[in-house]
Amino acid sequence: MKRQLRLALSAGVTFGIVTIFLFLIGFTGTSGDLLADLFGNKNAAPFLGLTPQMVNMLIFLALVGLWAGSYGSRKSKGQTDDPWAPALIGGFTAGLVHGILVGLLALLVGTLNLNHVPINMYLAALLPAAIKMFLLGFSPIQGAIFHLVLFTLTGFLGGLLSRGIGRGSWRARSMASWKNNLDEFNQRPLIKRVRGNPATRYVVYGVLLLLVFLVPLVAGQYWNYTIGTVCIYVLLGLGLNIVVGLAGLLDLGYVAFFAIGAYTMALLTAPAPQHLMWSFWIALPIGVVLAALTGLLLGAPVLRLRGDYLAIVTLGFGEIIRLLSTSDAMTSFSGGPKGVPSIAGPTLFGKPFNSGADFVYLIFLAAILIIFVTNRLQNSRVGRAWEAMREDETVSRAMGINTLTQKLMAFAIGAAFAGLGGALFASRNQFTGPEDFTFMVSVNVVAVVIVGGMGNIPGVIAGALVLKGLPEVLRELQDYRVLVFGALLVVMMLWRPAGIIPSSRRKMDVEKDNGVPGPPKEGGEK
Amino acid sequence: MPSAKSPARRVSTYKIVQFILGILFAGYLLWRLYVVFIGSPAYGPDTWARFLIAGVVLGSVYALIAIGYTLVYGILRMINFAHGDIMMVGAFGGYFVFEAFKAIPAPTLADPKMTFLDANPILSVVAAFIVGASVAALGGFFLEKIAYRPLRGAPRLVPLISAIGASIFLENAAQLLFGTQRRDYSNPAILTRGNGWNLPIGGTTVILPYTGVLTVVVSVLLMAGLYMLVMRTRLGRSMRAVAENKQVAALMGIDVDAVISRTFIISGALAGAGGVMWGIHLGLVYYYVGFLPGIKAFTAAVLGGIGSVPGAMLGGLFLGLVESLGPGILGMSYQLADVIAFGILVLVLIFRPTGIVGEVLTEEKV
Repeated sequence: MKRQLRLALSAGVTFGIVTIFLFLIGFTGTSGDLLADLFGNKNAAPFLGLTPQMVNMLIFLALVGLWAGSYGSRKSKGQTDDPWAPALIGGFTAGLVHGILVGLLALLVGTLNLNHVPINMYLAALLPAAIKMFLLGFSPIQGAIFHLVLFTLTGFLGGLLSRGIGRGSWRARSMASWKNNLDEFNQRPLIKRVRGNPATRYVVYGVLLLLVFLVPLVAGQYWNYTIGTVCIYVLLGLGLNIVVGLAGLLDLGYVAFFAIGAYTMALLTAPAPQHLMWSFWIALPIGVVLAALTGLLLGAPVLRLRGDYLAIVTLGFGEIIRLLSTSDAMTSFSGGPKGVPSIAGPTLFGKPFNSGADFVYLIFLAAILIIFVTNRLQNSRVGRAWEAMREDETVSRAMGINTLTQKLMAFAIGAAFAGLGGALFASRNQFTGPEDFTFMVSVNVVAVVIVGGMGNIPGVIAGALVLKGLPEVLRELQDYRVLVFGALLVVMMLWRPAGIIPSSRRKMDVEKDNGVPGPPKEGGEK
Repeated sequence: MPSAKSPARRVSTYKIVQFILGILFAGYLLWRLYVVFIGSPAYGPDTWARFLIAGVVLGSVYALIAIGYTLVYGILRMINFAHGDIMMVGAFGGYFVFEAFKAIPAPTLADPKMTFLDANPILSVVAAFIVGASVAALGGFFLEKIAYRPLRGAPRLVPLISAIGASIFLENAAQLLFGTQRRDYSNPAILTRGNGWNLPIGGTTVILPYTGVLTVVVSVLLMAGLYMLVMRTRLGRSMRAVAENKQVAALMGIDVDAVISRTFIISGALAGAGGVMWGIHLGLVYYYVGFLPGIKAFTAAVLGGIGSVPGAMLGGLFLGLVESLGPGILGMSYQLADVIAFGILVLVLIFRPTGIVGEVLTEEKV
């Protein structure tokens, strides 16, 4: 009982802090807009004096409250029986604490707002309108009481629900039944025959390809741009996947190679600082080769370092490239902070690429080429050497692998992919400048690889879709994208260090290795 | 490493290249020093004095932050990538103390518009340091608890990625909370930036700013305190024991988790104090303020030999000096000061990853 109360208290405090944080960064208001997009009720009539955004925000808050309650009523360690009363008390307590914290904040902020204190000078998200929305248009005291009641009720309900439905094991059971159904489905003779047939694979690939080639025709300018960006991130992700996922070298300055590809394309084809105006098709391979060469040059001394030191050196290198490109010293050579404008696009058989769709096709082609190359590499002797090196460098050396050469090769190939991506990126945007090459780009690519699944091609594609595509779809989330990136990196490391779609080998390791925390073993209501 | 036991001592080409490059670099440096000081001096002694002052002040802040990296690295063998952002948290803590004190009126007969901040500068500065350090210490504590502790024993890349994630999260949380604009640190009137003692050097006067002196003094005091803590107290002894060998330390009855947690609290507090100094001396605070000092302090820690506390202090001072004197000596524009810092980072890591005064690490540790 006492234990349950302590659990509930800590759950209440945690969720109170989380809710307050969400409010302070303005997410509660955004959740309203987001759900409005989802429900399509943005312009619905006010309901009981509440705008649809407010109703949606309440739905979001209620969900958080339910979660808090169910989290507060979870079983404490070593508790085997499943009594109802402590669970309900736990849910209630967690909800009450949650409500008190949020209510106090609402009261404080509301009062300050009534007295016209410019809170948003210090806390940027707390505009008067946002505060009014959080208080649902009530006075501060009413709003505070409202939140207190809301979270207490939902907390209690959360406790009731999580204990009521299947007493904590409903999740396991539903997973099991889902798996059973899937197994049953897989056992059907027709499915078996279709699966067993090698032609199926090609049919699936063919359909996918057809879809991929149809999409740019129907998508508009904006969507083609987005698809292009996602595909460039697929390219970058696959390149970094070789370095990080296969060879196990963390490269935090990957953007440097991207920048080299982009600047090569820009300087060779643009009229501005260099007056070269070469053809795209000549500049493209030069960019790729230059990036690969830089990779070799940087790699030769650096790759003797292991793990985190390598990460920091590459980060330093990436920053050096960016700082140089912004500095006045390089302005006459590469355009300096203003960047390089009017980069020429490619022409094919005399026809210039100007519509968005043309470029998407080009990027698609590059992506498919890279996927093919990566796939072949991964299953080759080189790929196996990389993976051996990642697992244990000393042992792989004892097995006769020249680790330095292999590392250099991984680094150079990864850099070449980044150079290709950069060249395409610069050519498509018709502009390139230092702002395109911040540290965040490196982090984005690392996130794509890690969230998707290290060392795994479908994983990287999924990662690029999730991290670069989803934020475009959910435009309200734009401001929170990077925040979520950061949180995702931590959360992925805590719960799924192998990524969304782990590569089969990597998955095996993670399950075998006691050191890596797998999914939480008990109290899985998280 | 290839076996060193081969009968005729083989020198790898890598070592030879390294040696030649070293000689070339040293030669270039000497030549530049000659050009700058004797050949055709571009700056008078007063300018060099200004650079020197700026370098020492900056270096003492770097040193404080670098100690945090070194303490954590010594114990966990991981780079606490979010350390710079912990510094940012501390800087914001001090900022809000000053803003709050500024809002309290304390009218006197002479000056009816006097604020509490200007009336009690010592109290304000002490409060800012205490609040900044505490907030940052709290940040360090929760950082370790949430993002690092569950990953104990995982492969080395895993906690590093988690640290990068935590760093990005902190930066963006601060951006969403406090906005993107750069905020002026409102110091007490007596510590207005630019105020200071006038030193007559080279025919003109050079200002020795009060804020700079405050920064150096506080930094030296904190470092002395930390050194005493590590060397003389029970906690310090357990920290050193855990750094030496976690298993054995645990067998000796040391609560390893508690020691690690306290290490993060201490390094967070130092970084927080560094953040307040950064604000008081340089005057700007915003969500990204911790990133560059963080990386540079890491450079400093590596430079001094990561894992060694005196090394971090020396490395910080050295890096501050290089950053302020380097562009002048090498004849580069001041925009490239950061390039020099990063260049040093890359060079040191490549050629001497154990640092200037570092212990000889086995390859496994490097």
